[in-house]
Amino acid sequence: MRTPSILPALFATVATAAAVVLLLLADQEWEVATMAGVAVAVLLGGMRLGWGETVHRSATAHRRIVTPVTWLAGAVAIFLLREHNFELLMLCTVMIFMIAGLGLTVQFGYAGVVNFAAAAFMGIGAYTTAVLMNSTALPHPVVILLSGLVSAVIGSVLLLPLLRTRGHYAALITIAFGILFRTFLEVNDALGGPQGLKVPGLELFGHAFNDAIEINDDVEWSFYLNYAAGALVVLFLAYELVRRIERSWMGLALDAVRLDETAASAFGLNGAAWKITAFSIGNFLAGVAGSLYATITAFIAPASFTFSDSLILVSIVILGGLGNPLGLLPAALVVVVLPEKLQVIQEYRFLLFAILVIAILLLRPGGLIPRRAREYPE
Amino acid sequence: MSTALLDATGLSVRFGGVRALDGLDLHVGEGEVIGLIGPNGSGKTTFFNTLTGFVFPADGRVTFAGEDITALPAREVAKRGIARTFQRLRLLLELSVFDNLMLGQHLSLDHGVWANIVARGGLRRSLEKQRETARALLRYFSDSLPDRLSEPAGSLTMIDRRRVEVCRALIRDPKLLLLDEPSAGMTPDETRELMQDLQSVKAERPALAVVLIEHDMEVIESVSHRCVVLDYGRKLCEGSYSEVSQDPAVRRAYLGVEDE
Amino acid sequence: MDLALLAQHALNGAMLGVIYALVAVGFTLFFGVLDVIKFSHGDVVMLGAFTGLATSIGLSSAFGSVPPWIAVIVITLTAVAAMALVGALMAKFLVLPLHKAPTLNVLLITLMAGTVIRESVRLFYPQGSNPKPFPRLLPDGAVNLGRLTLRFDSAILLAIGVIAIVGVHLLITRTRLGLAIRAVAQDPETASAMGIPFQATVLATFALGSGLAALAGVVNGLYYSEVNFSMGLLLGAIGFSAAVIGGLGNVYGAILGGFIFAALQTIGAVALPIASAYKDVFAFGAVIALMAWKPAGLLAERSAERV
Repeated sequence: MRTPSILPALFATVATAAAVVLLLLADQEWEVATMAGVAVAVLLGGMRLGWGETVHRSATAHRRIVTPVTWLAGAVAIFLLREHNFELLMLCTVMIFMIAGLGLTVQFGYAGVVNFAAAAFMGIGAYTTAVLMNSTALPHPVVILLSGLVSAVIGSVLLLPLLRTRGHYAALITIAFGILFRTFLEVNDALGGPQGLKVPGLELFGHAFNDAIEINDDVEWSFYLNYAAGALVVLFLAYELVRRIERSWMGLALDAVRLDETAASAFGLNGAAWKITAFSIGNFLAGVAGSLYATITAFIAPASFTFSDSLILVSIVILGGLGNPLGLLPAALVVVVLPEKLQVIQEYRFLLFAILVIAILLLRPGGLIPRRAREYPE
Repeated sequence: MSTALLDATGLSVRFGGVRALDGLDLHVGEGEVIGLIGPNGSGKTTFFNTLTGFVFPADGRVTFAGEDITALPAREVAKRGIARTFQRLRLLLELSVFDNLMLGQHLSLDHGVWANIVARGGLRRSLEKQRETARALLRYFSDSLPDRLSEPAGSLTMIDRRRVEVCRALIRDPKLLLLDEPSAGMTPDETRELMQDLQSVKAERPALAVVLIEHDMEVIESVSHRCVVLDYGRKLCEGSYSEVSQDPAVRRAYLGVEDE
Repeated sequence: MDLALLAQHALNGAMLGVIYALVAVGFTLFFGVLDVIKFSHGDVVMLGAFTGLATSIGLSSAFGSVPPWIAVIVITLTAVAAMALVGALMAKFLVLPLHKAPTLNVLLITLMAGTVIRESVRLFYPQGSNPKPFPRLLPDGAVNLGRLTLRFDSAILLAIGVIAIVGVHLLITRTRLGLAIRAVAQDPETASAMGIPFQATVLATFALGSGLAALAGVVNGLYYSEVNFSMGLLLGAIGFSAAVIGGLGNVYGAILGGFIFAALQTIGAVALPIASAYKDVFAFGAVIALMAWKPAGLLAERSAERV
């Protein structure tokens, strides 16, 4: 068979990056609406004409080139927005939601462990970061890692009830945990109560992220450029981690737990151990996402980590295509950027996302970009 | 009698008030093929479930290769070298044929973070080796299956699914293979073919012991060294096929219906 | 603590227990026939309360002053009928189509349906994001039995709740519909083989459960004289917890669970000298612990994994 051309993959990558930049820079509502319309048309048309398949084959055949190009395109997109504060902040939010979404992908998508408290685990990461940064001199990368770890460890409190129950019962446990977490924050004065906490800016090797970058007297780049670059690096690491998990024996074990734990145990698989692994990895990533969120927004409060926010995160994962990390980008764009850009729908966004998810579940359960069969490393 | 591999003594299982197994004894020697027959509800599958740690007996004992495995959960039993198929196929239909076989290989694979996430050279080598193993095993059962490793198991025909499920149980070279009605849902020809293929696998693994639940008496006659007949969770009789089929109690309880 | 105060708390607890039981019965009925939890159930309770509120406003603007007892009856019947319809529609268009899909999808679709209901009320009911006063339609007076005060409205609501619960019991045990529900819950395949229509029974069950939810919503509104769009989340979680305490699928377990949860809350509020925000923390903490200890509830039989 002839090797597919590299062009479709490169084109898709560059077009996606360009679309993201254009979407973020669009300041007229009709522009945003047009772009959303075009995106839907491309998606539907592409489905008919098998574009997804073409791009996929091209990307698979040239993975060694396409993968770095993709991340480079992301970096270029960020660089193009260097003077736009608000747009960069939005892009950071998109990336943070994607990191948390990667965590949920491992939990829901691979192991089939439900978690309707993802926002609460982000909150644990965020509050850990606030406390550690305000009261210790730990290097900030260490703080981010610790935030993820604390989130995973606190999550393990739920493991006993989660392992002993399944499906709907497990959902209730995480929902109850989310409600408890918020109540706890609101009555806890040491953590700022309902008013929340301030978070200092990130610092890395003496470089303060909150300082704008002065190029010369006339040109000044947004300080969010620091954060966007940092978030991209973390996103890259998280994405690689989740991809490699899926494309390895670990991914197979997790899938087996989700699809038929009983049958899998007949071949020696320890379902509980794999669920613990998945739940912890997912909460770790949510905690890291929350940590980044705290440093970028510089301020956190219980109201940012509610049950509705958890539902939003789950919506992203379902919308994108459960188990496919690639789908997180379009889904996060829809969920984060569209309401900001289209003020008309801002107020109605929870309603619209809920309807969207219902429609997806009924009509296209695989999501925008359905998960593909496992591709082991060649 | 050959060397004892599996010894079940006095197994009793109750579901609520029903006795699914009632003091059952069974001895399986190394390399033996045993046909397990009996009417529906006579406790055959429950017996398998008890051996493999899915159901725990109220009474009795199971020893395997000299070790007491009565109270071990399924995954521990698997480690000892007992593999099984399920009466209602339990392949992971969304996953590829290869992935399904690799579930059977679970205990032999390296699931460490280093090999799977960090330095993946080991994973690549292991993949190459496992693909070869999988193809070689499938080749006993079909000429076309080895080329369909990456297709979803759900796209296979019933007989191919059955074959994959049998291969999944065989791939880690178990000491004891439990086949729960492998002919269910297949035509007599397909069943005969599957049994012949199984016998050619068995010919190269003389130590492999097999317990086979089967309704088709011809199959039982052609493959098994010894037959055990269950009824109401009890052993009705035991012996060679010809002995068992002459037994008046068996003819009354079971064969009478089947002979016609 | 003296006896009168204790009795007062018991009375309040019983009031809560009735509301919770009405919600919990719905959860347990849905689980019985379809093995699903409808996570939007709490929001149906809320929507029922708002339907009642809207009806009462409509009544008084159309007919001026209406005798309160007529208003109560009209409000209740309208809310119950409307929610029964909503419940049946949700079953038909959201739950049944996903019947064979993974559990996760059913769970998500009902969660999202709850969000749709909640957000719709917030956005489209006039000033829906603020708490709304619910009309006081029941007599104000009270009788003093020693130092125990028995409010008439509480007594009436308690009676309504108990009558509804007894009604459900009779419906389940004495009618053809009840027989069909029990048969489908027992074994859907055998039930359809015996000529019991599966889909119709499921729809009727969802209508029944959702109607009870509406009743719970109206009773809740009349009792607290206030409703708000987000009350469903907590009531739903409580109702589900109550159903779980009793063992899902068991109607009497759900009723018992409702009273147990109310007792936990009352004990949390009375016996522990802490802020009232903690009473729910206490009750939910107890439920999480309970699920770790008895994953299938107190009254449920242990079901073996089908191999």
